[in-house]
Amino acid sequence: MKRLAGVSVAALMLGLSGTAFAEGEFAGVTLEAKLIGGQQYEALYARIPEWEKMTGATVKIISQKNHFELDKEFKSDLAASTTNWCVGSNHSSFASQYPSLYTDLTPLIPADQVAEYVPANIAAATLDGKLVMLPRAQFDVSALYYQKSLYTDPAKAEAFKAKFGYDLAVPETWDQLRDQAEFFASPPNFYGTQYAGKDEAIVGRFYELVVANGGKLFNDDFSPAFNSDAGKQSLQWFVDLYKAGAVPPGTTNYLWDDLGNGFASGTIGLNLDWPGWAGFFNDPAASKVAGNVGVAPAPKGSAGVRTGWSGFHGFSVTENCANKEAAAALVLFLTNEESQILESSAGPLPSRTKVWEHVVDAAKSDPYKTEVLAAFQETGKTAFAVPATPYWIEATNLIYPELQAAILGDKSVDEALQAASDAVDGLMRENGVY
Amino acid sequence: MTRLRLPPWLVLLLPAIIILAAVVLVPLVLSFYSSFTAYQLTRPETLWKWIGTFNYRKAAGDANFWWAFGRTVLLLTIALNLEMLLGLGLAVMVSKVTTGQRLLRTAMMFPMMFSPVLVGFQFKFIFNDNVGLVNNALQSLGLTDVAIPWLVDGHLALFSIIFAEIWTSTSVFAILILAGLYAIPQDPVEAAKVDGCTPWQSFRFVTLPFLMPFIYIAMAIRSLDVARAYDIVQIMTNGGPARRTELLWTLIGRTAYVDARMGYANAMGYIAILLSIFFTIYFFRKLTAARSELGMGV
Amino acid sequence: MASNASHRARKRALSAAHFIGLFLAMSLICLPGLWIVLNSFRPTVEIMAKPPVWIPNSLNLDHYRAMFGGVGEGGVPVLTYFRNSLIISVTSTLVALLVGMAGGYAFARYRFKGKAALFVGLMATRAVPGVALSLPLFIIMARAGIIDTHFGLILTYVALNVPFTVWLIDGFFRQVPRELAEAAEIDGCTRWQAFWKVEFPVARAGIASAGIFAFLTSWNEYALASQLTRSVNSKTMPVGLLDFTSQFTLNWGGMCALAVLMIIPALVLTFLVQKHLIAGLTFGGVKG
Repeated sequence: MKRLAGVSVAALMLGLSGTAFAEGEFAGVTLEAKLIGGQQYEALYARIPEWEKMTGATVKIISQKNHFELDKEFKSDLAASTTNWCVGSNHSSFASQYPSLYTDLTPLIPADQVAEYVPANIAAATLDGKLVMLPRAQFDVSALYYQKSLYTDPAKAEAFKAKFGYDLAVPETWDQLRDQAEFFASPPNFYGTQYAGKDEAIVGRFYELVVANGGKLFNDDFSPAFNSDAGKQSLQWFVDLYKAGAVPPGTTNYLWDDLGNGFASGTIGLNLDWPGWAGFFNDPAASKVAGNVGVAPAPKGSAGVRTGWSGFHGFSVTENCANKEAAAALVLFLTNEESQILESSAGPLPSRTKVWEHVVDAAKSDPYKTEVLAAFQETGKTAFAVPATPYWIEATNLIYPELQAAILGDKSVDEALQAASDAVDGLMRENGVY
Repeated sequence: MTRLRLPPWLVLLLPAIIILAAVVLVPLVLSFYSSFTAYQLTRPETLWKWIGTFNYRKAAGDANFWWAFGRTVLLLTIALNLEMLLGLGLAVMVSKVTTGQRLLRTAMMFPMMFSPVLVGFQFKFIFNDNVGLVNNALQSLGLTDVAIPWLVDGHLALFSIIFAEIWTSTSVFAILILAGLYAIPQDPVEAAKVDGCTPWQSFRFVTLPFLMPFIYIAMAIRSLDVARAYDIVQIMTNGGPARRTELLWTLIGRTAYVDARMGYANAMGYIAILLSIFFTIYFFRKLTAARSELGMGV
Repeated sequence: MASNASHRARKRALSAAHFIGLFLAMSLICLPGLWIVLNSFRPTVEIMAKPPVWIPNSLNLDHYRAMFGGVGEGGVPVLTYFRNSLIISVTSTLVALLVGMAGGYAFARYRFKGKAALFVGLMATRAVPGVALSLPLFIIMARAGIIDTHFGLILTYVALNVPFTVWLIDGFFRQVPRELAEAAEIDGCTRWQAFWKVEFPVARAGIASAGIFAFLTSWNEYALASQLTRSVNSKTMPVGLLDFTSQFTLNWGGMCALAVLMIIPALVLTFLVQKHLIAGLTFGGVKG
């Protein structure tokens, strides 16, 4: 094993001087991988046999599960100390939860290669100075999908101008979106907008709105900072829409699948949502609004900042991997230019600068796709990741019930934010963060 | 040299004991131990950090935990009783049918063929206030012009969950009681008819007592099983919104796997176990009482 | 005369009520399930449509075609999941039944010290919350190397089903009076023969019911399966359902198609095992 490692390191050093792999350089090496499953993510794995042929290594996919089940499995592995598999699927929002699991990729991947990825993504993939993952072409940020027909009706435009005092156009700020949502809503058959109502989802939306309104969710020492004017303003936005009946009353239970299906059913006017739905919304076999969908960059908050809660999937190499060089090579291969071009051709957004250009170019002939890409690219420019604390998920579980309580009217906005802030503060103290 | 002869009952029970010891007892001991530690999944070294009864005290002092506990007891009581009554009614109705019984019995067991994950998604979409089946039907029939928030309103959400749970499990009661109905000796029933009892009387005083053991078996097993409705509740509401439908299992599941606080979750789990054990012992007592009444031997 | 007429009228009203009640109950039971079956044949746009489309405009097999298709087009290794589910469920059911029969017989026919405690103890193993069980079980199985194997899951499901089979079969054995077995023994059978010739046939109803439950529990179980399986080596169909979800999206039509695939064998098996439930009826004629 040690001899093989030695040989492969030498071969790798020769091989990495260019970007091509030396033929058969990892011959005899077996890598165990735990990859995310699900239709959206598996097309990429068809490339693995190519890499195997090139390098002579074998890749055994020992686990293929969905996002949450995989997270559970990683945590179980940490508990059982069965962490000597090599490659794992990772996600920027979850990566900070397992600091001891994955190794730093910086010594394994040359810097000029790392520079080819979108810098913001690499920054989010670097925790405590360690590059823990390489992003694949599954970058997620939310843009504003809307029904085009809402803006082509002159009668509506007049009525709106009369009521609110400015022209009816695709909203550029969240206040405008709120006005328009209230204007368009006619429950129970049509609603202006909708939003995620529970779990990390609603906290993420709240988080990005707080940032857009000029505030912060956490301070630098991860103490809660959302019990502020920006925080109250943001939560008030959710509350106002719910009270006005501009969102479906069940929205506090909605998760991503409900939101996507809701917009596709034609009952929602404006919908901030992820790129994975773009094809679905415009597919006549799946969506009633096919042909009527417009996409705009995410609106800005009161501080002139665009919302941009983002995350991306990627691959990491475990600390206990027997052959880190081979594993890193596989990770690099799965996220290199050809791989990202392959993956993004089906819709997901890339995380390499050059591939963005390629994707935009390839979509030139399709006006819908061009519009989608322009909106997401624009939003992606100012996108930001979740706070890099291992207690992010746990904190969200403390925050979201309070947000829901305020929206439903059980508590006032001030009470809710105070309760959430206290709870998160207690959590951080209990875990010795400060 | 006398061969060691184990009593026959022990030999017969040994496989069951061994399997359950291996699969349940050993993990039980491990997790029980971990409830006295500050065990966090993502930091396995915390398994050795003994903190005594801190987790238990924390759970006992947590208002959310006791709300969830109370709600769980409420749900269990309502669901079990309704399932029994509906199952009994269904079984009796099916047993009186003369043609197509086989088909009817299979149809009766239809809900049992759905995986809990599927049931969760199914009812989440059916009760969706915007595009769900129920609201669509109500609006099409003109019974309402409002989108009823089945999964959001405090009472309606609990109702929806109970509905989903009853839908899944009434068949269990029904089929058990039906099998019991078939196993009842016919002589007492016929004797009652000859003696001039109305159908209701013969049911109440002859059939029902014979059915009680089966009913208690079903109740006991179901009360333990309802805990496995975790998947359904987790997908439908995940304990929300604003903790309105928080049950013990969603709270424990989230704490254990999403928050990764295994030690604390296990402590909560063991407090909850007392609940299950109470139900089991309660129904077992009833079962033995019913049996001795019927002279079936203890 | 009048009493006869009123009696007949009453009977007719009762049977009408019976029919209506049964119809309502059956609709309520079958409708949600049928909705899923219907969904698997409809395009997604119609499933979630508002205003709702009650009469399907187009029925097609698209979801099924996609499900069986290749990896990039929405395919899922359905047949492998099916095979895994079948092997695991059938094996664990058979083993659970055998263990259950042995245990149930012991409880029904013997008296011994600590019987009540042992009985409750056996049942109480089912009271262990899944969370307390699944992680330590995972750790033990991971160390033993039986994660993601058929054996590991079969063992777990047997342990899951044994309390139920023991308890249920015990109940049915108690229905069989001792005199029957004793009579057979007097006639020259050994206890073993008496069991198979006399007691087993009568308790067939209970064993069939227990078998159906054990099979359906294993067939549909999700929580432990998702923890103890990882790949196509042992993933069962309930776990496969989540292959139709991504982080943000859900392919509902595809899920329904897989659900239909899961329901069909369960339906067939249930239909076939039905007649053993009636076996108990013959018993009534024996008791003098």
